[in-house]
Amino acid sequence: MTVSTEQDIPASGAAGLAAVAAREATAGRRVRRFSSDLSAVGEPALWAFGGALALGIILVAGFLAMIAWNGFTTFWPKPVEQVELRDGTVLAGVATRGGPYRVGEDVLQRLDDTQRAEIEDNNGIANRTLYQTANFDLYGDDFRWISDFEVAQSTTPPDYWYFERQVWGVFIGRIAGLTIDGESRTLDRALLAREQSAARDRFNQIRRLEQRDIGRINFQIERERLAQRRAVLRHGEDSPEAQAAVAEGQARIAEWQDEFRVLQAQVNELRELDRRYRIQMQEVGGREVDVELSQIVRLFPANDLGIFDKIGIYLSRWWEFVSAEPREANTQGGVLPAIFGTVAMTLLMVVFVAPFGVITALYLREYAKQGRVTSLVRISVNNLAGVPSIVYGVFGLGFFAYTMGGTIDQLFYPENLPNPTFGKGGILWASLTLALLTVPVVIVATEEALAAVPRSMREGSLACGASKWQTIRYVVLPKALPGIMTGLILAMARGAGEVAPLMLVGVVKLAPALPIDGFYPFIHLDRSFMHLGFHIFDVGFQSRNSEAGKPMVFVTTLLLLALIVTMNATAITIRNRLKRKYADGQF
Amino acid sequence: MDTRRSVIWGERIAGGVITVGGLMVIVAVFGIMVFLIRVVLPLMAGGELQGNVRYQLDTQQDVIWVNGDEFQTLGLAVAAEGRVITYHVPTGTEISRAQFDFGGAEVTAVAGTLGRDRVAFGFDDGTVRFAELGFDTETTARRNLPSGLQQLDARDRVLDGRVFTEVGTGDFRTLSSVVELGEAEQISDLPIIAVDYRVGGTRERPTIAFATVDALNIVRVSRSRIQVNMMTGAETVTTTTTELPPLALGAGVNVTSILLSGNADRAIVGTDDGFVHRYDLRNMDAPQLAETRRVADDGIAVTAMTFLSGEESLVVGGEDGSLSVFFRLQTGTPDTTDGRELIRSREHAPMPSAVVDLSEAQRQKEFVAVDAEGNVHVHHSTSDQVLFELARSGDVTTSSRAMIFPRSNGVMLVSQGGEVEAWQYTQRHPEVTLRVLFGRIWYEGYAEPTFVWQSTAGTDLAEPKYSLIPLIFGTIKAASYAMLFAAPIALMAAVYTSEFVDRRVRATVKPMMEMMESLPTVVLGFVAALVLAPLVEEWIGAVLLGFFALPTGLMLGAFLWQMLPVPVALKYDGFPKFVLMAAMIFVSAFVAYNMGTTLENFLFQGDFKRWTTGQFGTGTPFMFLILLPLSYLTVSWSFKRTLGHHWRALIGDRDRAQAGRLDILRWLALLTTAIGLSYAVASLLTLLGYDPRGGFVDSYQQRNALVVGFVMAFAVIPNIYTLAEDALNAVPGHLRAASLACGATPWQTGMWVVLPTAASGVFSAIMMGMGRAVGETMIVVMAAGNTPIMEWNIFSGLRTLSANIAIELPEAVKDGTNYRVLFLAALTLFIMTFVINTLAELIRQRFRKRAFQL
Repeated sequence: MTVSTEQDIPASGAAGLAAVAAREATAGRRVRRFSSDLSAVGEPALWAFGGALALGIILVAGFLAMIAWNGFTTFWPKPVEQVELRDGTVLAGVATRGGPYRVGEDVLQRLDDTQRAEIEDNNGIANRTLYQTANFDLYGDDFRWISDFEVAQSTTPPDYWYFERQVWGVFIGRIAGLTIDGESRTLDRALLAREQSAARDRFNQIRRLEQRDIGRINFQIERERLAQRRAVLRHGEDSPEAQAAVAEGQARIAEWQDEFRVLQAQVNELRELDRRYRIQMQEVGGREVDVELSQIVRLFPANDLGIFDKIGIYLSRWWEFVSAEPREANTQGGVLPAIFGTVAMTLLMVVFVAPFGVITALYLREYAKQGRVTSLVRISVNNLAGVPSIVYGVFGLGFFAYTMGGTIDQLFYPENLPNPTFGKGGILWASLTLALLTVPVVIVATEEALAAVPRSMREGSLACGASKWQTIRYVVLPKALPGIMTGLILAMARGAGEVAPLMLVGVVKLAPALPIDGFYPFIHLDRSFMHLGFHIFDVGFQSRNSEAGKPMVFVTTLLLLALIVTMNATAITIRNRLKRKYADGQF
Repeated sequence: MDTRRSVIWGERIAGGVITVGGLMVIVAVFGIMVFLIRVVLPLMAGGELQGNVRYQLDTQQDVIWVNGDEFQTLGLAVAAEGRVITYHVPTGTEISRAQFDFGGAEVTAVAGTLGRDRVAFGFDDGTVRFAELGFDTETTARRNLPSGLQQLDARDRVLDGRVFTEVGTGDFRTLSSVVELGEAEQISDLPIIAVDYRVGGTRERPTIAFATVDALNIVRVSRSRIQVNMMTGAETVTTTTTELPPLALGAGVNVTSILLSGNADRAIVGTDDGFVHRYDLRNMDAPQLAETRRVADDGIAVTAMTFLSGEESLVVGGEDGSLSVFFRLQTGTPDTTDGRELIRSREHAPMPSAVVDLSEAQRQKEFVAVDAEGNVHVHHSTSDQVLFELARSGDVTTSSRAMIFPRSNGVMLVSQGGEVEAWQYTQRHPEVTLRVLFGRIWYEGYAEPTFVWQSTAGTDLAEPKYSLIPLIFGTIKAASYAMLFAAPIALMAAVYTSEFVDRRVRATVKPMMEMMESLPTVVLGFVAALVLAPLVEEWIGAVLLGFFALPTGLMLGAFLWQMLPVPVALKYDGFPKFVLMAAMIFVSAFVAYNMGTTLENFLFQGDFKRWTTGQFGTGTPFMFLILLPLSYLTVSWSFKRTLGHHWRALIGDRDRAQAGRLDILRWLALLTTAIGLSYAVASLLTLLGYDPRGGFVDSYQQRNALVVGFVMAFAVIPNIYTLAEDALNAVPGHLRAASLACGATPWQTGMWVVLPTAASGVFSAIMMGMGRAVGETMIVVMAAGNTPIMEWNIFSGLRTLSANIAIELPEAVKDGTNYRVLFLAALTLFIMTFVINTLAELIRQRFRKRAFQL
């Protein structure tokens, strides 16, 4: 029960009453309407308590707002500024962020008197802006801080372009020339757009040939090799069976290799063609870079965009983000493999966690006699919930990957040894580990759901002659299903956000292949995978330039948070609805 | 009617599966624990002696040098007049034989490199010769195996001086010995009595250094540089020999041994009167006798001496059997020319009688000591253990040469007469004992025994340091700073939610906090490290001020609220008041943001970060800030005790607005007094010589405990909040109703009725939060800087058990020492949280029972 404060009238506490009574005894009887014993109301303490709650809410809201703001604005195209500094340097870049900072002594020494006076007036604090100057291949750096007092003039010339390249990251500069099919052409935006899109198609075609077709051949050859080795291991090296298998395998490998050569020729031809379409880019200092047009993922005149162009670029960047593979050490491009890995791992986890969690809850609610054993089970459940996630990772690595996986390798994949197949981190072990981690969530939610099923329904079923299991199967579980789903969604939310144990049991920064693909047996549970949470950690902390990766981290964070918040909100809504439903669901 | 059989069976199967499945949870928890323990246990297991062999070699003369390969297959023994015998270690079968031509000179001194495959011989004619006495390993495929192999034992076969051993892949490892003797170099006219030999540089451009002592105790150091002509492949060797300053030895005192460091920057000479003499050779043009130090007790001779691998530790064996280890430490002492001195840092268990031979292991801090009675003890220096106590059989009075096999899995000893004794053993983790894990160890290069975690280093030669104490300390530090923020905020918010807000507000606030619970910690860690940490560093003044501005602002709000007339206060009580509280927080934050620099200028001369390093100023300003809340509490408490009674009587009669005005004056007066008191106490502490810098405040790092504590609190608050709120909410409504009916205010009811009833539940909520803080990983990995240091400084980084596991386990070799120690770290975490959670759960179950009874 909650006491509404609206009815409370400041009244004196017991101590206050006693004091009043004592005074009244000496001063004679007097009637008062009310007293102002402020300490009984505890207003300052109330404010402290309420302040704590408000602070908590402000922190959550502020946190979410910050992530959302940074995440949503990242892809919006920003103008390229050409900044002339007082020392004559000219640079071009996109202003990313800025703020006041304390100017160091050595910098102050180098300034002239008026500048120094200005800064000193401002308590030694000046404003600065971080410019993304890009052109990492030329400058060796992507970003540069510029203090306001350094700037002589800042303009936004309309002929600056913003190039997103396949390698080396962003280039900022002008277009110096365009070569179409070996001929130099004058710059025409429509032509450029058309040719760039055609060049990208060529690029994707080459990529498809290389990754899908040649990848398939490599996969087959590798499998053939393993099959030969298996035959040798099984029958002995000199046995006729093994020699037959080897001969047969070699013949097949030769066939594959012929096919490989054909494909390779195709790829080379395309490459040759591709090299005839080029673009010459010129940075602000005049140096030129000449690349194939197909290396430009996206280009736009940053200072000459209408609002619809901007929206178009914004949306196309989002589309690339959710549908493409990462480039530039994960700091650009998309996160499709990470989304895929997260979803696949989480779904696989649900497959493991659902039966285990539901069975345990059924045991606790329906089968066990309440007593020592159930108390022990409850303590265990609580401990499972309280054990740090990293400990699960350690257990997963030691038990699932090394012990179980090692045994599986010895029994079923001896031909691949000493390279482990299952004896290392992989999606199967990761999802098992997370299943162990999230099982308490499912147990608690299922228990709640089972408890909410009215007793009368069970009794009715039993009275009709149904057995205990039949009652559970046909009456209790269907009724509890929404509650169980809530538990599963909560478990998924928890599992999708957990990173620490995954670092030990199979998450990688760049997975060469997805865990599900077109090659038999289609689902490769032994493969390592990418994960949104780990992607955040990796890009933010282990890339060459965490500043360059920061926007990507924010967007990935936004995506992960959106995923988790949606799941949680769904679960909480279902739960609240259920509670309301069952509150008067007794019949 | 009979029940169908399928129903009965279904019933039985379901019952069985569900019961077993339910009990699986218990199995899972204990399974995890048992598995962790099983991985950890071998750490504590001792070594196991697997067997020993003994046989006689046909050496005829005295054996002066012995070497063995890393698979314990081949042994090499060199006899005094140059016969070199290669033999099969397990059986003693002679594999091949060679003869060195020493040109009639007699060997008077011999020494080798750490790998034992490069040996220097010193002769009585003052010459020195180098030899290679090593092994060559190749792999022979099964189909290329030559015919005519002779079986040596179950494992090995031999042909023409090559031994073939089948390995796991089905191929054969082929081992043969490499025996070569170099040219003689004339060093002295007198017999060489001690020599040492080191090979450094790269494989392509090796540098050779050797030190000699001749019969007149003159010490010389020579360095050879080998240059290979790219065109002809011919080698040119240039040797420069430097005579070192003379040793001032007493009459009849002789040099017993000399040791040279790998890059030839120091040489250590031992003499038979118990002294060592250390030369500083960093400047080869001006070598100096840096230090002469007695390393044994009076009258006790130094009988054996060796460096441990890595050459940081010098093991000295005495005539009385003592074994001590010396480090060369930078102490700034004026007694030596270079300010360093040899310090006795470890005392190992003494040998029963005089130490006659010491030999170090190649890849571990291990050594074998042989004494005059034939005892052969294998020691591990870091963990201070005697790993094996072996004993020679046969004639123990003859001298002998001992060695540890390169993989530290066996000892071979050849006596002068050519009798070989070899022991094979397994020892998994000799470098770890309970004392190493939890005690202070004096590590190489450290000035004193300390707790250090440094499991991996650049080279094999570094000493691994496996103390869990810094990690446990880091865990506790992070958790306690987090709890310092989290517990008050979460509890106060929980009390407010359950006792003072409307049901509708609660219905929105609680899910929001639950949402916060599910925020992935990797996101929190990323924000902490890349957004918050730089911000806090930039605005540290404002952050410090914020800690005071926020409570002060709220208090101010409360006292202003008290001044409102009752009808107004009643009208806007509830949600508007809550909005006002939030607004007050924004106002205080804004004030802090704007006044932060002013505060920094005013208290810390404009630069707080530099102030923390202790370069200027006193500890007063910071102590003043720290003591401020404390002194406010003291002042207001003493006011309440002494004058509170009168004060209540004074304002009790007035109407509320008037009372409120008086009360705000009282509050301001108390605040001023508190500020004065705090400053006075802080100054007094400074006068007494107390400075917090160096203690819980020290130099500022960007990723520090403050940021970690704050963000981890963010992760823990929802946990504590929801559990505590549940506990408060479970207090039966009739208790509240009774209290309110007796005339108590909601505040009094909340504080003195509800909270005490729910105390155990609230306490268990805090414990659970603590459990979560202890195990939190990603925030710490990303935002804590991960330096395993032990200081309470709130502005320095830390490394927790969990972060350590996340960082090191992916690279740890399976079943290696680091792997098992990391599992021990996980087990420690598991046990810590197990205890906390089980206690919390027991308390909670008890609370529930009590709450139901009420």
